[in-house]
Amino acid sequence: MSDLSTTTKSVPQSAREPGEPKARMMNDKKKDLIQKFAALASLLLLVAVFAMTSDAFLTVNNGMTIALQVTSIAYLGIGATCVIITGGIDLSVGSVLALAGVVAALAVKAGVPVPLGMVLGVLVGAFCGLLNGLCVTRLKLPPFIATLGMMLVARGIALQITGARAVSGLGESFGELGNGALFRIVTIGDDGFPNVVFPGIPYPVILMVVAAIGVAVMLSRTTLGRHIYAVGSNAEAARLSGVNVARVTLITYILSGSLAGLTGCVLMSRLVTAQPNEGVMYELDAIASAVIGGTSLIGGVGTISGTAIGAFVIGILRNGLNMNGVSAFTQQIIIGLVILLTVWIDQMRNRR
Amino acid sequence: MPPLTAERASSLHHAITSATDPATEPGADPGAEVLRLTNVTKSFPGVRALDEVCFDLRRGEVHAVCGENGAGKSTLMKIISGQYQPDGGTIRYKGADTRFANSLEAERAGIAIIHQELNLIPHLSVAENIYLAREPKRGWFVDRAALRRNAQACLDRLGVDIRPDASVKSLSVAQCQMVEIAKALSLNAEILIMDEPTSSLTESETALLFQVIHELKREGVGIVYISHRLDEMAAIVDRVTVLRDGRYVSTHDFAATTVDEIVAHMVGRSLEEKFPERTSTPTADVLLSASGLTRKGVFHDVGFELRRGEILGFAGLMGAGRTEVARAIFGADPLDAGTIRLGERAITVRSPRDAIDHGIAYLSEDRKSHGLAVKMSVVQNLTLASMDSVSNRFGFIDFAAEAKAAKTYIDLLSIRTPSPHQIAKLLSGGNQQKIVIGKWLFRQSRILFFDEPTRGIDVGAKFAIYQLLDRLAAQGIGVVLISSELPEILGLTDRVAVFHEGRITAVLNTRDASQEEIMHYASGHSRPHASGAATP
Repeated sequence: MSDLSTTTKSVPQSAREPGEPKARMMNDKKKDLIQKFAALASLLLLVAVFAMTSDAFLTVNNGMTIALQVTSIAYLGIGATCVIITGGIDLSVGSVLALAGVVAALAVKAGVPVPLGMVLGVLVGAFCGLLNGLCVTRLKLPPFIATLGMMLVARGIALQITGARAVSGLGESFGELGNGALFRIVTIGDDGFPNVVFPGIPYPVILMVVAAIGVAVMLSRTTLGRHIYAVGSNAEAARLSGVNVARVTLITYILSGSLAGLTGCVLMSRLVTAQPNEGVMYELDAIASAVIGGTSLIGGVGTISGTAIGAFVIGILRNGLNMNGVSAFTQQIIIGLVILLTVWIDQMRNRR
Repeated sequence: MPPLTAERASSLHHAITSATDPATEPGADPGAEVLRLTNVTKSFPGVRALDEVCFDLRRGEVHAVCGENGAGKSTLMKIISGQYQPDGGTIRYKGADTRFANSLEAERAGIAIIHQELNLIPHLSVAENIYLAREPKRGWFVDRAALRRNAQACLDRLGVDIRPDASVKSLSVAQCQMVEIAKALSLNAEILIMDEPTSSLTESETALLFQVIHELKREGVGIVYISHRLDEMAAIVDRVTVLRDGRYVSTHDFAATTVDEIVAHMVGRSLEEKFPERTSTPTADVLLSASGLTRKGVFHDVGFELRRGEILGFAGLMGAGRTEVARAIFGADPLDAGTIRLGERAITVRSPRDAIDHGIAYLSEDRKSHGLAVKMSVVQNLTLASMDSVSNRFGFIDFAAEAKAAKTYIDLLSIRTPSPHQIAKLLSGGNQQKIVIGKWLFRQSRILFFDEPTRGIDVGAKFAIYQLLDRLAAQGIGVVLISSELPEILGLTDRVAVFHEGRITAVLNTRDASQEEIMHYASGHSRPHASGAATP
């Protein structure tokens, strides 16, 4: 192509576009920053307000509690973000996490070592994701319908195989993943009781950070990530550019399913009991965290950092409202309004 | 669509206005001024889109507005139709200073606009579209009988054979346009703004549209007409106003000027030739050959050869199967039968990925929906088909290499973008087209199918794309140019394959072919010896 460059100079320079408004020149990155700034600012505002209204809010202990509470929304939100960027949706994650957790618990109960049981749980999630993805790419079902079906099927199986009863008596090691922590510092006080100096970083929080960074790098720095955005931006253009649209779509559903499986294992481990009724409506929290973080339900737009902020907005709202003694019903109302408000602000910003 | 007969059409506007509103200016003077814009100015943050622009329109005339992309045509139209409010200047409509708060107000006052992207709702019927939001009511309910009756009356008066019950998604683009016109007339439009109405019409559909426009003129409707196709304008346009860079340049009586003169005003310099001189001749080696290509019900037994360094034209009417053949070779649609060879080697193409790996590229006629990932940046679009060459084997993108590649093609193709990270959606049509071309050049494609590459692109950018096609051929790339504009085919190609109803009816040496001869084959007179003129 090198000889093109010398000759193309004679191309008429008349293709000038004076009509290009400068305000539109704001590029992707700046927009992204503003979006995140808005979400981050509201997050900080929440922290400030709750810190003033409750003394116990801004403490290391409570910080770790919030981080721990946020983990399940965050895992699911990360998966949801990838699926939504391709223009899809995954409604099945709440049920899939229950099925995965129950399968892991039943396996452990049957004598399978705990780590292997947990891996099995994640694989069950991945398999559900695979089925979702195949329904979408092969059977060409709308993602809403495909995952709605899986939501019912997975929940049904979880209830069926447990007889709708909780699986308990799993042993202490089953609780390690959900309740253990790294760098936990405990001293024995003068009175002989243990004194927690630093509660440590819970394993689920570490997993959350690893998953978030891993998927964020995948989305922003790899070919696969670029293809995920391309599919959501314009699937036909992506296909005609040689992107294997079906494969990329399938991968996002498998990822979402796997993360749901992980969520199931972590949640059940925290309770040291596997509840087939766990995780009802969690898919909506996941979608909400992605949407608050600026992911567009039309596809093509979204970031993991945004979703992480969105997950913390929801988590901090819940925690702070709890500490202020706001009822669970009122909390729902407030979180609902927050979702409406953030998405409305986002739309205003995009409309211009 | 049957041809519009003069008798059927002559009564159309009068009948519509008198039927629905008998009081509408019965004796309006046909040449009277209906609209005058004086020193209209409109700014957007950072740019003055219109700078003291003047424009006037008389009853019963077609007044064309010409200018390159970004000259301010659409902004002007949006001001006339009430979508934008001017920052300065005056608008006199029917003798009174007017300011429309929104497009609905302008529509009620009798100014209708037919957008390039037609604004019909595909799932509703023709009648429902014509009377959308103005449905005849009986109590709380839509009076379906009246709706159908009124719509039928509108369509009859236009002389078009469209059923009011037909679903809009089953109509052709030309038919949709007729529905839009019917809708405008049912609103008693006194000014009709048409934005690129012929850009996706075939010649016969264009002829029908022009007949309807003539009737509208006779009925005293003032028409503002925007088009890039200057050569067509002679048939209907009375006056032409040229804009450049948001400024008013000049207004001419169309009869007293020439297309070259208008173009010179548009670009601010004289453009001697519309097509560049070809700088190379094709070689004898065959790059790509196809034989017996068949897709049931779409095209049959299509075969052709493309040589190294050749520009091969695909001519034919819309729907003749040109795009479909290109898409099938590219793997975008399945083939039922046929062989594709690269040189001597037969290849199988099951997906666009396969075709791309064989060095074949296809530039879609529909940039926005098939060519560009509109929400992604210029860089990301440029490298989308070649991610493997800007990433390592683990799939991690080398951003420096990507930026460098993008800069190369932005410079090479003079893509006008404020930044490589600008979102593709915000660039003009010509620049978007260049991004798509850049994508395939970066992929080092050896065979390029260009499907209507200059549709909706201004004159200067067109010329740049023509030059580019020539240079690609000079480098030994094989180019297939699918175009509905015969001058483009005649001006650029070495040979031309003429399609008619899914078959190639003739392959001609462009040098020896005439526009008439190509049209002859394109309209289905298939046997070469049946036409005395044909000596390919």
